[in-house]
Parts: sequence; C-alpha cells; structure tokens
Amino acid sequence: MFYLPMKFVISVQASPQSPASRRALKFAQAVLSEGHEILRIFLYQDGVCNATSIPVLPQDELDLGVAWAEFIQQHQLDAVVCVAAALRRGILNTAEAQRYGRKASVLSDSWELSGLGQLHEAIQQADRLVSFGGS
Amino acid sequence: MATLHLLSQSPFTNTQLKSCLRLLGDTDGLMLCGDAVYVLNSAPELAPELQVLAAKGALYALEEDQIARNCIQEGVVQSLNYAQFVALCCQYDRVNSWV
Repeated sequence: MFYLPMKFVISVQASPQSPASRRALKFAQAVLSEGHEILRIFLYQDGVCNATSIPVLPQDELDLGVAWAEFIQQHQLDAVVCVAAALRRGILNTAEAQRYGRKASVLSDSWELSGLGQLHEAIQQADRLVSFGGS
Repeated sequence: MATLHLLSQSPFTNTQLKSCLRLLGDTDGLMLCGDAVYVLNSAPELAPELQVLAAKGALYALEEDQIARNCIQEGVVQSLNYAQFVALCCQYDRVNSWV
C-alpha cells in the first residue's frame, strides 16, 4: 500500500553492540528509500555510542559508527546526540573536551551534541516517532 | 487511535509482552522484532490475546529477525521486510516502542 510522505523522528537508545541499533539504521534507510522524510535522528542513553567512529571492529563485522556517519552525511540529516548521556560515556566533541580538560574528542562530524529538548521539539513536528532500544 | 506496539525483547526475560497485551486496544497492532520473535516458538499454543491478534491480521514480525532466530511460523504472523515495516508505521496512527 502507498502512503503519503510522512515525517519521521528516529530515536536510538541501544548501544552499537545491540541488534536494535542496526535495526534502527536499516529502518532509517528504508524510511528514505520509501520516499518519507527523517526530521531528526536522536541518540539517547547507550545509543550515544553510535556517534563515534573510534572503535575498531573485526573486518567481518558491520561498523555501525561508520555506517551511521556515512548515512547521515550522504542524506544531510539532522542528527543529534543527548549531551548529558554522551558526556558520561566519554563521547565528547572538541568544545566539550576543552571545557572539561579531556585529551580526546571522539564524536563523529556527522553528529551534534545537544539536549533532550531537541527530541521533544522534533516529536512535535513529526508524524511518527519510532524508538529503538532493547535487544 | 490505532497504535502499533513495537516489541524487541524476549518474552522469557521480562513481563513486557504481558504488560503490552493487557494494554492493547481493539484496533491496535503488535510488531515483533529482535528477541521478541521468540514468542512465536510457542505456536500453536500462543497466548489467547496473541491468537486474537493473529486472527485479526494484526500480528506482525520482522522477517530477518525471524529467520535469524528460526522462528518462522507461516500463517500465524505477517512477516515484513523493512519497507513493509515503514509502511506499517504509516498505517497506524502512532507507534509505541517498548524499549
């Protein structure tokens, strides 16, 4: 069945090691390929660990950090990471690393650190919110 | 409003599925993905609420997760790919993810 284009917000609360994160990416890819729009992708809780490309994975495994970054770059998507959840997990950008005197910034360029308000605002404008967490 | 409930955790690790079934409205649907598809292994002796859902055609599962976990029960559940999953989210008025 064909549906009129809708505006989606996708929230990810699971770590990159969880199948839920991969499912979220595959869902997001399908949203765009089916002609819908993604207003914002929001990472929260352990989901914030999807916003770094620093981890080194075995060659035969999907590198979700890289896959998310490429997907966001390719489609120029609005991609936001909850700053409070990110700070406590060491996912810092250059500004936060300087502010807190940490040696490294690990946040991928595709993502922006911001607050939970960004999720709320996007939900108000969207037709659908789909969250991915658990297993 | 017709709500699509999205479950991803195994029914054997917590009571999420039970809670969800208690809250289901008449027009609601249930989408199983991840470890939640393991509930299909109990077919044909599914919980009565799931049987009602299946009879209404409102019980769905993500096909790749069913295949990965060998939980393919044809005729009980509607198996969907990602494009169909997206369409399902549009079909219902809202999506409630149990995370």
